[in-house]
Amino acid sequence: MVHLTINGQVVQANDGEMLLDVIKRMGIDIPAICQHDAVEPFGSCRLCTVEITKADWDGWKNYVTSCLYPVADGLIVNTHSETVNEIRKTLLDLYLARHPNSLFVRKLAAEHGVTKTSYEEIPDGDDCILCGLCTRICERMGFSAISTVGRGHSKEVAPPLKEAPPDCVGCLACAQCCPTGHIKFSEEGASRSIWGKQFEKIACSKCGKLTITKEFADSLSETRNIPREYFDVCDDCRRKEIALTMGRLAQWSREEETV
Amino acid sequence: MRIDKPAQLTKLRKELVAVEKKHTKKIMICCGPGCLANGAAKIVEEFRKVLKKKHIRGFKIEALKETGCHGFCERGPLVIIEPRGTFYTKVKPKDVEEIINESIRKDETVERLLYDDPSNGHKIERYNDIPFYSHQQRIALRNLGHIDQYKIEDYIVADGYNALVKALTKMKPDEIIAEVTTSGLRGRGGAGFSTGRKWATCAKAEDTPHYVICNGDEGDPGAFMDRSIMEGDPHSVLEGMIIAAYAVGAHEGYIYVREEYPLAIENLKLAIHQATEYGFLGENILGSGFSLTLNVSRGGGAFVCGESSALMKSVAGEVGEPRAKYVRSVLKGFHDKPTVLNNVETYANIPVIIDKGGEWFAGIGTPGSSGTKAFSLVGKVRNTGLIEVPMGTKLREIIYDIGGGILDNRPFKAVQTGGPSGGCLPEEKLDLPVDFDTLTEAYSMMGSGGMIVMDDHTCVVDLAKYFLAFLVEESCGKCVPCREGLFQLHAMVKKISEGQGIEEDIEKMEKLSDVIIKSSLCGLGKSGPNPFLSTVRYFRDEYLAHIRDKKCPAKVCRELIRFDIIADKCDGCTACLSACAFDAITGKKNEVHVIDQDKCTKCGACEAVCTRNAIEVS
Amino acid sequence: MKSRLVVTPNRCIGCRTCELACSFNHAIDGKPGRSRIFVMGGGFKDLWVPVTCLQCDDAACVKSCLVGALRRNEETGAIELNQDKCVKCMACTAACPFGCSIYDSGQDQVVKCDLCGGDPACARFCPTKALEYKPIAQVKPAQVKVKAVG
Repeated sequence: MVHLTINGQVVQANDGEMLLDVIKRMGIDIPAICQHDAVEPFGSCRLCTVEITKADWDGWKNYVTSCLYPVADGLIVNTHSETVNEIRKTLLDLYLARHPNSLFVRKLAAEHGVTKTSYEEIPDGDDCILCGLCTRICERMGFSAISTVGRGHSKEVAPPLKEAPPDCVGCLACAQCCPTGHIKFSEEGASRSIWGKQFEKIACSKCGKLTITKEFADSLSETRNIPREYFDVCDDCRRKEIALTMGRLAQWSREEETV
Repeated sequence: MRIDKPAQLTKLRKELVAVEKKHTKKIMICCGPGCLANGAAKIVEEFRKVLKKKHIRGFKIEALKETGCHGFCERGPLVIIEPRGTFYTKVKPKDVEEIINESIRKDETVERLLYDDPSNGHKIERYNDIPFYSHQQRIALRNLGHIDQYKIEDYIVADGYNALVKALTKMKPDEIIAEVTTSGLRGRGGAGFSTGRKWATCAKAEDTPHYVICNGDEGDPGAFMDRSIMEGDPHSVLEGMIIAAYAVGAHEGYIYVREEYPLAIENLKLAIHQATEYGFLGENILGSGFSLTLNVSRGGGAFVCGESSALMKSVAGEVGEPRAKYVRSVLKGFHDKPTVLNNVETYANIPVIIDKGGEWFAGIGTPGSSGTKAFSLVGKVRNTGLIEVPMGTKLREIIYDIGGGILDNRPFKAVQTGGPSGGCLPEEKLDLPVDFDTLTEAYSMMGSGGMIVMDDHTCVVDLAKYFLAFLVEESCGKCVPCREGLFQLHAMVKKISEGQGIEEDIEKMEKLSDVIIKSSLCGLGKSGPNPFLSTVRYFRDEYLAHIRDKKCPAKVCRELIRFDIIADKCDGCTACLSACAFDAITGKKNEVHVIDQDKCTKCGACEAVCTRNAIEVS
Repeated sequence: MKSRLVVTPNRCIGCRTCELACSFNHAIDGKPGRSRIFVMGGGFKDLWVPVTCLQCDDAACVKSCLVGALRRNEETGAIELNQDKCVKCMACTAACPFGCSIYDSGQDQVVKCDLCGGDPACARFCPTKALEYKPIAQVKPAQVKVKAVG
């Protein structure tokens, strides 16, 4: 257990926790758009940068991303100092220059007082903010079907060779977690398409309701040791089934009692 | 032959030295990067051919040695006749026979191939008498140019692996670390962290296993110190690494070499093979019970992979992106295990420190930065090449005494140290002693040792634009301030170089730079704005000239200059006309030529060919 | 794990109070959330079965979650879904053999019974004790071990 000061308030934190966890727990709102609890902190958006110092640092201050900075005893943290606000504003200004058409970026920038970029706008800038959530989550799930390719300003997220990714199972986690909605997919009837790859969803053998893709079910069954037939029936029909099973037992015990 | 006991090595060395002594004369052919590029391989071939044809009494072919970089690249290809030290410059295959006749058969010299002092035209025979060499002190580069780069036996003759014997048989790991700490050695890769402290932290780390890694991902434009060491004296790196591994308790190590250095990869692999055969690597080294395997890992061709955390990811086969180092890599490095990562030059210093002692090393250089530092001295300086000087040597000594001053006697303008993310120092900083701290105080940095000298024909805005473009290109793109911030900074410098800037831009760029420095993830981003910051600090007027007067004082920025032909000087020789690739010059022979400003791309080809100085740049 | 939710269908009168209690207890922004308990027909006259998560020992939902968002709360015995970790891949909704991990399109999230952190509202409000949250010691052995078999 360590004690630190955040915005003047002394708080307790567990060893090994990151500053951002504590800051969030206190209800302090700071942006952290490359952060997701399913994956390790990454530190690419830099928006969760805070100012830290210690009593014995002789007034020296450091600027660190709170998502990656472990709590420490005696740490003095300021989440909204003048410099921190300036950093956050400048970063959002840079984001806005790169992604002028992204509603997500525009909203977040506006919340921090940036409504128009002061830099050279890239008019055809896409919505991918390169937070890396999609690729990291895909890797975390064990598929690594997509990754970032290239570097610098021309870096992008793509499947290998920009072809339909062989390891993608169509789980949509990447699209679900994309903060800007940049990752597109389409669904038509039982078919799903993402990253240029076609998938077919499982239709419940009882009612026909569509669930996850066959590839995803196969993968889960194989790697997670879950019987494949679990995936053949939808959740609605499963509940009906269990109700009938339990109902039969209940009826049987009712009859037992009456005999 | 495997060596299991120290005494065996002593015996072997004696035998090898006796063999070496039999060579009354030795031909050392520099096969460093510069000389190879200028045809050194052909010279080696020619020597072999001629020596085979003409049998020379007492001369054995083993006395012909292909050495690593001797240093004086500007005069390459170099051939040195030892033991006299006769120094032949700019040797061509056709000179080989003459050299053999004069220097090997007889005790004469080939006068025309000797170095001529540009200040007085005097010939100097021995390299030790040439100012380029006489002002240097070599520790890391000690064997370069003096031993055959492919032979471990040559390294052993040069007291190689002596330090390893001492370390493994007479010293405990903590004694080695204490010795390195005493030496005051600081990381030669650029950051200048105390090597002893780094080793001590790793040695104490409880998590296991420990690793040693060598950073050979030298990526700064114009830098080739590490390359020269890896190619020309690979065993010095290995020996340093083995000692380090023993000191910190590592049994596995990697040498990460950039893709663009195939010869370094080859030579290191050969050296590892040789060292393993002799028992300096592998199981139970020298019978001490200590084991170590070393592997060569090829880089992925990205500048950012020289950053420690990105490098370790790249060695592990992942994408070479840096991670935040709030937990240092010495505790959580390769595979998240305690890892000592040092640069090539740092390791090359280790055997000497163990051999001669930390105190001895600490006595060289300055109190805060001990020892020597290798630099690749390039740019508009007369003597370009690979040099090594004691820390604290003044920039002026390096540029004027060793470097021989500025090319064509032009005025000195600035020297760039520390690679792309280093800084530019102007004339008033020439008396600065070069060490880690003074360079940082002057808003530049030591970096890995690139030193680019510039004359008055260099425009600082153009320079900043060039280095920023390099950094934008090499940014890994992971974090926003580096990826987007440097991109915008480059765009603004470019705007200024084109005469489109406004005065407020400078302040805006300084503010942006501050944010980039404070908020970037790794060193590349944190030092990324340096090309702009250091030039604007020392050459603000030049920026203002571009903005206010729309003029480039150095006459470099194409959008702000124009080429004209001075009618009085032009004799209508048509040289410029044929040199112009864009048909921008018109005029008949023997008549004054004219440049069509609409077609002119300001490439400067006409100015370069005009013998009458009739082309005016304004 | 100290207690277990015990369902006795024969006591259920189909009043759906449990569904309401559940929904209100998991209200988001003041709006009742989707109930994680379902009162279903048992296949016989006047027989209802409240179906909810059985907090299986070797749970298929936990196995199917590739990001570790589903974890058992050792205190309450509930398998809890950490919404901050969930990537909405729907694996658990497809894997649960009892259909008790469900996607709530209204809230755009996957929900499942979390035993209300140790005081399940469904049991608290059940007027007939068809749902009881009982200490393990009082539960019949047959009701203690539940294995996820389809």
